[in-house]
Amino acid sequence: MIWREKRILLVILGALLIGNVIFFLTYRVQYQARLDEMDDRLAQAEGQLAKSRQGRADAERQLQAYKKVQAEVSNVFDEHWSTQPRRLTLLIAEIKRLADASNAIPRSYTFTGGEAHMEPTPGTRGRGGTVVGAKEVGIAYTVEASYDQARRMINLLELSQQFVIIDEISLSSSPEKKLNLNLRLKTLFRDEPQADATNRL
Amino acid sequence: MKPIHLNLAARPYRDYRPVYAVVVALSLLSAFLMLNNIETYYRYIHETKATRAKIAEVEEQARVEKAKEDTARQRVKGLDLAQLDQQTRFINAKLAERAFSWSRLLDELESILADDVRLMSVSPQFTVNGPIPLSMNFEAKSGDGMITTINRMNADPQFKNAFPSNETANDDGTYTFVLSVDYLPNAPQTAEVLR
Repeated sequence: MIWREKRILLVILGALLIGNVIFFLTYRVQYQARLDEMDDRLAQAEGQLAKSRQGRADAERQLQAYKKVQAEVSNVFDEHWSTQPRRLTLLIAEIKRLADASNAIPRSYTFTGGEAHMEPTPGTRGRGGTVVGAKEVGIAYTVEASYDQARRMINLLELSQQFVIIDEISLSSSPEKKLNLNLRLKTLFRDEPQADATNRL
Repeated sequence: MKPIHLNLAARPYRDYRPVYAVVVALSLLSAFLMLNNIETYYRYIHETKATRAKIAEVEEQARVEKAKEDTARQRVKGLDLAQLDQQTRFINAKLAERAFSWSRLLDELESILADDVRLMSVSPQFTVNGPIPLSMNFEAKSGDGMITTINRMNADPQFKNAFPSNETANDDGTYTFVLSVDYLPNAPQTAEVLR
């Protein structure tokens, strides 16, 4: 009876006590555990940061690698191959100069090519291809020369600053015991940018 | 004579001492725990302040890094890797062709060809790595020219898999033959080739 009369006070005091006990058990008894948990959170956050940094570094490395390769590709396309209008005449002049230097001057030259070069795209099995952005031009000529002159001409072509590839060499003897050296050369030109072509129209 | 018991109380008498004892005990215990809890709370807040600040800082940095990573990944996704790969392969193949040394090949052929055999034509099929298949036409003064040439190529480590595809006896007494052979420019040269 007496307890019932004071029940409100007792309930309030009981609730206050229970709340304090819970807080005590949570924060005081497990104090170290909570500190450790905080340290764990910090370690976890640092791990996440390291992972994000690594991810960003990987992505940026990929970008840098792409840019580096692209710059090298552009260098080959722009500097070594260049466009046909810019380099073709220089190439022909160089070949004639080398012929002069080796004392073996051809009577005629044959020029072929100019088609855009296609590379097969993986998985298409020849049904399609990627435009590489370069075209191949062939230059063939026959020259009457001694073996030493032929070797000198080949050597000069190999050392030339022009990007010229010796594709095939054929030899035959002439009645005067001289060699007929048939050289098939090729070079590559970068496709002209669309903008340039448009500007000329 | 019956004694008279006078009860002048307005309400019935009750002993509240146990209730008050419990109330006092609960109050004291609650007060003690509350003080302890308050001290604990402030100590916890104070001791973890630096750590919480550090966590917030690190999480912010991680968020920024993640955003940068996502941006970079988006940029990588937008790149035409296939096109660049094709161009790189193409350029490497052409550079390998350009780097091919015809002078060295001719030197090597000079060292293995017999006196009565001469080279008529040579056509390589360029590869970026590995042996370079050569297709060669020869002219020989005798019928043994082709056998001699194959034997000498087999004895030279720079040539491999020499194989004839045709031999023709000409009206003028000479023989022409066609050989295919794998040329290994980087193979060690022999000190002495069988002659």
